[in-house]
Amino acid sequence: MKPLLSMKGATIRFGGLVAVKEVTFDIRPGDLFGLIGPNGAGKTTCFNLITGMYQVSSGEILFGEDCINGARKLPPNKICELGIARTFQNIRLFGALSALENVVIGGFLRSRSSLFSALTLMPPAIKDTRALEAKAMEYLKVMDLEEDAHTRARDLPYGKQRRLEIARAMATNPKLILLDEPAAGMNPQESEQLSRTVRRIRDDYGKTVLLIEHDMRFVMNLCERIVVLDHGEEIAFGGPDDIRNNPKVIEAYLGEPV
Amino acid sequence: MRFWGVRLASIAGGIGLAVLIHWIALSQLSAFGVRLVVLAGLYVTLAVSLNLINGITGQFSIGHAAFYQVGAYAAGLFTVKVFSSQPLTFMLWVPVAMIVGAVVASAAGLLVGLPSLRLRGDYLAIVTLGFGEIIRILSQNLKVVGAASGMAIEPKMLSQSPMVWLCWLLAIGSIALCRNLLQTAHGLSFLAVREDEIASSAMGINVTRTKVAAFVLGSALAGAAGGFYAHYEGFLIPTQFGMEVSFIILTMVVLGGSGSITGSVIAAVALSALPELLRNIKTIPLATVIGLTIGVIAAVSLGRRWSEQLHGPVRDRVLKLSGLTGLCLGGGYLLGLGLRALPALSEATTDGNRIRMVIFAGTLVLLMLVRPQGVLGHREFGLGKWLREPAR
Repeated sequence: MKPLLSMKGATIRFGGLVAVKEVTFDIRPGDLFGLIGPNGAGKTTCFNLITGMYQVSSGEILFGEDCINGARKLPPNKICELGIARTFQNIRLFGALSALENVVIGGFLRSRSSLFSALTLMPPAIKDTRALEAKAMEYLKVMDLEEDAHTRARDLPYGKQRRLEIARAMATNPKLILLDEPAAGMNPQESEQLSRTVRRIRDDYGKTVLLIEHDMRFVMNLCERIVVLDHGEEIAFGGPDDIRNNPKVIEAYLGEPV
Repeated sequence: MRFWGVRLASIAGGIGLAVLIHWIALSQLSAFGVRLVVLAGLYVTLAVSLNLINGITGQFSIGHAAFYQVGAYAAGLFTVKVFSSQPLTFMLWVPVAMIVGAVVASAAGLLVGLPSLRLRGDYLAIVTLGFGEIIRILSQNLKVVGAASGMAIEPKMLSQSPMVWLCWLLAIGSIALCRNLLQTAHGLSFLAVREDEIASSAMGINVTRTKVAAFVLGSALAGAAGGFYAHYEGFLIPTQFGMEVSFIILTMVVLGGSGSITGSVIAAVALSALPELLRNIKTIPLATVIGLTIGVIAAVSLGRRWSEQLHGPVRDRVLKLSGLTGLCLGGGYLLGLGLRALPALSEATTDGNRIRMVIFAGTLVLLMLVRPQGVLGHREFGLGKWLREPAR
């Protein structure tokens, strides 16, 4: 099967520091893919490379057939248009706007009505806005947030903010969705529920998922394939069982089983 | 069909309101009053257009008077050069000249917008400040616009019959454009850029294009206002567009509540009228001034401390705080009466006109102390639900 996303020796240097060094892996369509490693290993930097926030120093990243970072460097909004959406480790919602409005903004990039029709409030702009709102309401339902549709994002509790970020990312209608520590700060029940939702995103909506997470139970139960980074380098790759028993991973990250 | 019915009715309503203001101003007010109404209309346009850049898109611009000036000079120069060789009458010509002003000003907006896209917050503010100075100094030195001695806009068009309706039509049109924008998903993308640029671009919003659109649109409206001003005043001189004009427009936006269109409108009308209304204060005893000042200070400091402990419905809290304010002011007045017994203060009086700008500035300081988020905060004032609270 052709990979959906390929990292081909992606490297980024910040001055003398090599934050990500020749990372190479393929994500196939329909994967539930995990990216783990100790703090400062370069996981979020990988996300920033894939979404075009940073540009590779060498190597390249392909999305399908297209080079998105490397010989051709696309800006983040173009990459999102191609079909990669993300959430942020330190939640970045549009705080003063309602949950519904946040998700509408997620869907806005597929809107075709012009700025002129918005300024003059012509039928195309109104129709577009209504359609986006209806669609946004659906995504809020998927993430179990429909009751909070009109609450300001800033006023939502932490767990709901995390789910709202996923709903907003889903609204861009991506092929690949990147989740940066989606279960951080959640209690066991919440993360159990989140795990089911993420699986649904893959199974019911056909999205490919790449996620960063420190909650090992969450990752091992959910992800089918896992890459482990340490000091910017890839130290292991495989299914959950391979990773659990890999001596390098145990030394660098998991620690000895007690 | 229903859509077009509502649309036509609202356009007719907008025009009707402009004509009503025109009629009231010309039939009821003195020449000075008419001037105030015109200036208020222009400031409403300026504040609403800066609110689009500053409050809605979150791009901190403090050089808005520069776009106003560019529009005024462009329209004025256009009239001076072209008017005598064309057939249009005054009434048709002024709108044409305003469009010219808008187009040139929006080009200036593009010019500032494009290079400043990578800048945020303070840095952008400095660039817009610099741009304002460049325009002012250019206009002081360019011979073609009369340099420092100014430029007369001949023939005089609006001095005999000021087209108050036109200036208010522009103001109402600006309000309508901004309001329309915020009703659509397009408008949400502008707000998204204000809230978080990184998240916006990660959600596929073209942040560059959004910012440039805001700058171009905002400066076009300011330019049209400038075009009207040029023909209304009949004479342009660089000092009319100094930095204090930029700051008063910015004050209107912040005071009304950044992002709130109705807030900008209310603040623009209030702040352009207040310094003039304060002229009506005639001679007052110095002791009263001192007493009232102490009363105001007491009201603010007590009120701020007390309001932290107050709970319950908004209306009750407002009532209690108004009561406190009334008591403090009354006390201040009585204190003033008492102070008059002092030999040093018994005869001393002050001219209202002299302390008018002090009162104006003091009012601004007070308002910001009492309501740092602006009069309306991020809310809009609506007739239907009185104070509606959509999250903005």
